Amino acid sequence: MAEIIDQKTLAYINMYGVLGSLTALCDNVPEARKILGQSGTSIGFAVKDGPKATLTFIGGRTLIKEGVEDCAIRLPFSSPEKFNGMINGTVTPIPTKGITHLPFLLRKFKKLTDLLETYLRPTEEAMRDEEFFRASTAVMFRLIVTAVAQIANHDKVGQFSASNIVDGPILLEIKDFAKAALIAKDHHLTFTTKVPKTVMSYMQFADVKTARDLFDGKINSVAAVGDGLVRIGGMISQIDNVNRILSRVELYLK
Amino acid sequence: MIPSGIYGHQGPAEGCYVPIEAFPLFSDHASGSYFWDVDGNRFIDYMCAYGPNILGYNDPDVDEAARKQREKGDCTTSPNSIMVDFAELLVDTVASADWAFFAKNGNDVTTLAVMAARAYTHRKKIVFFKGYYHGISPWTQKIDYAGVIEEDVMNNLYVDWNDAEAIERVFAENKDEIAAVIAQPYMHGNFKDNELPADGYWAKLRKLCTDNSTVLVVDDVRAGFRLDIAGSDHYFGFEADLICFCKAIANGYNVSALCGKEFLKNTISSMSYTGSYWLSAVPFAAGIACIEKMKRLGCPELLIRKGTQLKKELIKAATDSGFDLHVTGVPSLFYLRLADDPSLMLHQEWISECVRRGVFFTNHHNHFINASLTDGDIAETVAVAKEAFAVVRDRHPEL
Repeated sequence: MAEIIDQKTLAYINMYGVLGSLTALCDNVPEARKILGQSGTSIGFAVKDGPKATLTFIGGRTLIKEGVEDCAIRLPFSSPEKFNGMINGTVTPIPTKGITHLPFLLRKFKKLTDLLETYLRPTEEAMRDEEFFRASTAVMFRLIVTAVAQIANHDKVGQFSASNIVDGPILLEIKDFAKAALIAKDHHLTFTTKVPKTVMSYMQFADVKTARDLFDGKINSVAAVGDGLVRIGGMISQIDNVNRILSRVELYLK
Repeated sequence: MIPSGIYGHQGPAEGCYVPIEAFPLFSDHASGSYFWDVDGNRFIDYMCAYGPNILGYNDPDVDEAARKQREKGDCTTSPNSIMVDFAELLVDTVASADWAFFAKNGNDVTTLAVMAARAYTHRKKIVFFKGYYHGISPWTQKIDYAGVIEEDVMNNLYVDWNDAEAIERVFAENKDEIAAVIAQPYMHGNFKDNELPADGYWAKLRKLCTDNSTVLVVDDVRAGFRLDIAGSDHYFGFEADLICFCKAIANGYNVSALCGKEFLKNTISSMSYTGSYWLSAVPFAAGIACIEKMKRLGCPELLIRKGTQLKKELIKAATDSGFDLHVTGVPSLFYLRLADDPSLMLHQEWISECVRRGVFFTNHHNHFINASLTDGDIAETVAVAKEAFAVVRDRHPEL
């Protein structure tokens, strides 16, 4: 029997990882900024027994933060399963607030998420374009690192791994391309792009191609460490456990 | 051609080789306390093949005994009678042993020990101490390890080492359910200082096991014969019900042994447990020669003495260079940690500079002393350590 994924964990990944990666999409893809234009609004996703967060669109950029108190449009979901259904296109949410913003939801937000999908599930042909390849990898990087934090905090097996992670910032970096940190505190991981000056450990991918090959499962992180394509250092037990959680990301994102 | 290249604990992905380019990956040959990499660089080896090298690589007495046995026969239909000789020697040597059972690897005998405990007690649960390593079978691994399923580890109970209240609580909460407590003789986990048993801790564990009809298993695979020729339980003043040996038992020849108390002999007899090469005679001959030589040399005491000398001089070299080096565990099995930086990056820099200069330490594993290590080797090691401290100091003026 195949391993059953936890819907609540998936909801957190969908919220902060998938929807959260709209921030990276807007930062890296001009078309995304063009879709948004200068319009400013916000969508709150309130999942019962799950995550609650708001996406804010302003000046062509997207931000995500916890809570739905200040959103213009509010989309309630009765369960993590329903929210996950919206992400995979099987559930259509009905807003309880911000009906006047429906055109944004139906047009711009839809266009933006469709564009996101092309970068998260790219075709081989699209990936031959260097610019697309780099942007897609940047978006994937953010999604994957965020997913690690959510799995560490919510998935039963991920929580076990996190229980063995000592406090301190963990740097994940694609050399000369992108970096993010997971802040470990009391076995809870928080994702941030604001990397502290000093970190407890690091995992650095040699280049964008290495990172991409790892994301796509073409190479293995353990083998890549042996080859010197992934460099690790500092409190290796942190990296060891992050690596174990990383191996569960595929389970949730496949 | 080989998945992940050098796999397992000797592989670079375990975090012992940081940065990877400072470390030799493949060796060409070895002798005594040294090995040479494929580029011809010589290293004073403080990993000793992760333990097996206790007398020195290519020890002439052990190799001669193995050679003679090879001429007579090794892997044969009826096992060679030297198997009985080896069992008798182990029973005479290991204080808590009434019998000996042979296999190949440490994992073979830790697994047999746990299966025997379950067979004897008809219970499922096993108590482990956090930071443990007992091999690679699914029961020894954790729920987040690749290929391990929840059912493999659902009867594993985890306790902090030296926490007397915690172990008492676990016994109280799992009354009549604990088949075995399995422990290394002291906590030699990685990424933190090794921790010897607190006063009275082993006595408490022994009593809890006896009072609750739980089998006490000592995993002496790593530490065996480096603390006490009669077993590490003997060193710490108690008797295990089952004790597992491998690594140093035959100076690198491939054999492991489970020794145990009389009351478990029938249980072991009833078990279906063997392997294609488990009764090979050459490793038995090597094991006999190794144990006899260790006895002649007074090996554990000799190794502890050498380790203590090295420890003292390394700490002095660190202090003279303005660093805070912690050397923990029993000195024949010492663990190094530069405590100036909690991230251990400074430690990794220092270790890598030692390796670049021909002293093979690893970043996050206890080290091993072998009997062929000379005063000259120790002096060379300390000189290299000083040089490495100076390099790290120059690189970090902020310190």
